[in-house]
Amino acid sequence: MLSVAGLTRRFGDHLALDDVSFDVVPGRMTGFVGANGAGKTTTMRIILGVLAATSGEARWNGAPLTHEVRRDFGYMPEERGLYPKMKIRDQLVFFGRLHGMDSTRAAERTDKILGRLGLAERAGDVLETLSLGNQQRVQIAAALVHEPIALVLDEPFSGLDPLAVDAMVDLLRDEVTPEVPVLFSSHQLELVERLCDDLVVLSRGKVVAAGSVAELAAGPTATYRMVVDGDAGWLRDIAGIKVRDVAGATALFDVEAAGQEQQILQQALSRGAVLEFGPERVALSDVFREATR
Amino acid sequence: MSTQTQNRTTQNKETLRKATPRKETLRHPWQLVAHREISTKLRDKTFIGSTAFMLIIVMAAVIIPALIAGNNSPDKIAVLNDAGAKVVQTADAINGGDSYQVTRAADPAAAERMVVDGDVKAALLPGDNGYLVLGDDRVDTDLQNSLREAAVNLGMEQNAAQAGLTPEQLRANTQVQERLLNPGPLPEIVADFVNIGLALVFYMTALGFGMMIAQSVVQEKESRVVEILAAAVPIRALLWGKVIGNTVLALSQIVVIAAASLIGLLATDQADILEVLAPVAGWFVVFFVLGFVALAGLWAVAGSLATRQEDLGSTTLPGQMILMIPFFFSVFAGAEAKTVASFIPIASSMAMPGRMLTEDVPVWQPLLAILVLLVATVLIVRLGARLYERTLLQTGRRLGYREAIAIKAS
Repeated sequence: MLSVAGLTRRFGDHLALDDVSFDVVPGRMTGFVGANGAGKTTTMRIILGVLAATSGEARWNGAPLTHEVRRDFGYMPEERGLYPKMKIRDQLVFFGRLHGMDSTRAAERTDKILGRLGLAERAGDVLETLSLGNQQRVQIAAALVHEPIALVLDEPFSGLDPLAVDAMVDLLRDEVTPEVPVLFSSHQLELVERLCDDLVVLSRGKVVAAGSVAELAAGPTATYRMVVDGDAGWLRDIAGIKVRDVAGATALFDVEAAGQEQQILQQALSRGAVLEFGPERVALSDVFREATR
Repeated sequence: MSTQTQNRTTQNKETLRKATPRKETLRHPWQLVAHREISTKLRDKTFIGSTAFMLIIVMAAVIIPALIAGNNSPDKIAVLNDAGAKVVQTADAINGGDSYQVTRAADPAAAERMVVDGDVKAALLPGDNGYLVLGDDRVDTDLQNSLREAAVNLGMEQNAAQAGLTPEQLRANTQVQERLLNPGPLPEIVADFVNIGLALVFYMTALGFGMMIAQSVVQEKESRVVEILAAAVPIRALLWGKVIGNTVLALSQIVVIAAASLIGLLATDQADILEVLAPVAGWFVVFFVLGFVALAGLWAVAGSLATRQEDLGSTTLPGQMILMIPFFFSVFAGAEAKTVASFIPIASSMAMPGRMLTEDVPVWQPLLAILVLLVATVLIVRLGARLYERTLLQTGRRLGYREAIAIKAS
């Protein structure tokens, strides 16, 4: 398991990370969200050891991360970059070897991944002659070529069209074995909601929410939505529930105890027709807005 | 952290290792970096082109003078009779052949005309008590000496025969041989040339490869690939890979050029220069490697201070100065200043090998200079490595050297 514990980082007077702790569980995709400048990239760079923490540390299975372990990680930095004038196959083999593979194995893996990405016939081409989308694919390949034991991807899908995102997600699913923890940051919340199992929300250097996507979306209390034939204002007089919003016939409310919603439903039916009644799933963007407010 | 957790960690890692047995621990990531550096350069057309260009220049410098000298057709000398012809032939033999050629003239007037018209270099006419060498505006000293020697030899042999002596008897106990206690290195003009040449080789190579090192570092910063590299291997391994890779390239380039000039020298019969150069060659390599490595560390820092290629102009300025000032100093300064320079690190790489060629330098001097250079190299490389580590990942803006020294480790 990959975790960070009490991570704090100062840049001069600016406190970029303030006691950040969370776990990235093996076999689960953990989405890392937060506004610009919240500290996502700083956290990831500290995990990869390219930036030092002011205090706190990154851990692997509970022990402080060493260089040997990090070397087996796969990393896609926020600012993309490979050797522009190097052939993509040579480049990927080089990165495989740099991460500790022998040359035969690195070559095998490179050919396999290039094949999967549909870039096999471009293997001998220089990187800068590829389209930006294809360069991005090579970038992902560079993070995957050495069969990493953990993956840290900083905005891996930014700048990709939806089809390319799907292809990339498929690649990740196929190439990443179940014991590998994956941490990836993104601005695209719908994408995070679709792909991620777990979520860490960062705001101004602090973790403001962490947990599984399902838990976070459900919230601490269950929210229901009701549409009646008439005015729903009577809900405000009922004790034991919290009315979030009433607009004419439509109401949104939280119940504190399970089963309470059934009583409300009966009461509503006794007053007239009920057009809609059901639990309201909160969009992740609302969770995000709520958490970072 | 409990021992148990520690154990579990190791175990987990072991299982992962077993699951992926293809991974081997690479002990020296710098080797990979050096290897990439070399193979990239060997495919770089500019690098290959400039090496080929240097090769051509060096070969031309070695071969063309020899060809010009060798191509000279024998000088024609006009003579009137067989006796004259014999003198010219003897002079030709003294000079190793192919130097002078006999041209017959009918009478002195004809010979004079040939000289004036430039058909012959000179004319050898019978004169009072011997011969007269007839020239147009002047007679070459070499020619004059050769003809005189030939005439004297022939004449004395004839005189000796008349007196009943054999040529051997005549020459008995007149041989003068030469033995030098301190064989002088090179003729002065050649020495100056070799002196400047050796300094120039170091200067050009260190500057050329230095700029390449700085460019290769800034390219990695500019393309942001440095972030991935730094996550995979220690930054020091990146530095060492670059320094060692480029040192190997630079030395190989010199070896190739040296081999080419060697072949050129052998092919054109100038091998005697080698006898003088050979003992200094080993020293040159030591001075070269140490000086080059010290500078390479600085050039890498020049690259890591920059964020774009355009910044290199200002960040490489100190490196250029460190090379240029000692170069001009070691080439143009007087003997005493040169002696001082040959002990100062970096300058010594350019001054000492040349001094050893042109002067008698006691062996403790190059040894001391190497020791000083070695200490300086270690210090410079250590400072360079620290600056490189601190500035390599700073991609925001160009930094100055003073700023870089003030940066704390991050």
